Amino acid sequence: MSFFKEFDQKPFEYLSLLLILLIGAVLFVSFAFNPSSQRRVIYLTSAFYFFWSLYHHYRRGDLHLSIVVEYLVIIFFALVLLGSTIL
Amino acid sequence: MKSLVLHWFVPQESNNHKSNLLQPGIISILIAVYLLNQSLLSSLTFLRPGILGYSSEITLEKVLALTNLERSRQGIPELKFSPALSESARLKAQDMFSHNYWAHISPTGTNPWDFFRQANYSYTIAGENLAKDFYDTESMMKAWMKSPTHRANILQSKYREIGVGVANGVLNGVKTTLVVQHFGTPINSKADIPESSSISLIPPPVSASEQSIPALSRSDSASLISPLAISKTIGAIMFILIIGVLVIDGYLTLKRGTKRLSGSAAGHVSFLAIIFLLLLFTRQGAIF
Repeated sequence: MSFFKEFDQKPFEYLSLLLILLIGAVLFVSFAFNPSSQRRVIYLTSAFYFFWSLYHHYRRGDLHLSIVVEYLVIIFFALVLLGSTIL
Repeated sequence: MKSLVLHWFVPQESNNHKSNLLQPGIISILIAVYLLNQSLLSSLTFLRPGILGYSSEITLEKVLALTNLERSRQGIPELKFSPALSESARLKAQDMFSHNYWAHISPTGTNPWDFFRQANYSYTIAGENLAKDFYDTESMMKAWMKSPTHRANILQSKYREIGVGVANGVLNGVKTTLVVQHFGTPINSKADIPESSSISLIPPPVSASEQSIPALSRSDSASLISPLAISKTIGAIMFILIIGVLVIDGYLTLKRGTKRLSGSAAGHVSFLAIIFLLLLFTRQGAIF
């Protein structure tokens, strides 16, 4: 199944992810020079991404521990790189 | 050699159809490497203070000019330069460098109003704005104007005078430029002091503080290596590597129709790309 086919079948899921990420980015930029608020925005965005992934894989029927770990590692990677650099 | 590269970057049978670089264990190692780099930078600033730092082109004159420009845009009278306030700002900056702190109140309990007194500036209302690590005055002013408390100080119509200190020195092991703005209205001013005595002689919410300390000539400043730039560069390389491999991995998996248990490559790429852009466009500088 190509990405576009999957997108056509589940547009709500991908659009909601895009919306979550864009809102996070806009809030992060709007809180420039306010590290504590930026930190909260990044934590919240990451948490939403994690919940999105649970919902997405639950609907696909392949929600397994290895996938949950994969998402957690990716989120931790992003949080460490952004968080320890600028916040 | 080729097969090794393919094993790390391309999904195939040898890596169970998932690029080796995307295995959680390998990403965890990358995280550890990055944290090690951050620890080394912290150790360097502690063991060899002044090796790393933030260069700056901020000048006292420009801070004054831009502050008054912001006020005139709002139709508020411009502030008069006060040598006494500049002295208090200079004392504040010296104090932050000598006691190695970044705050309105020092670890020894000295508050901004003590520096006003030391400079023999008697005020009815006063305020302080602090900034550090900025490269240019415009960015610093933008940061202050985006912060409600700092903006309130800059646009406070009851202030009549201003003093600015721009000081170079080493703070927490990193060479930097501190900028302190001290605002005030002298007691003998003809200014319209509001009848409400609640604000008179009561220190207002603090905002920033400054000033000059010898150290860091402009040529020194220009050659400084910013710790933020080092971290951002290493972080950017890691992000590009992971995003790039995710794109290749996702594309090939879809093209080949490989069935495997894995997270959404599109989701990972979107999430990491947004975080990467935020990292890329973050500018240096802090206000208090």
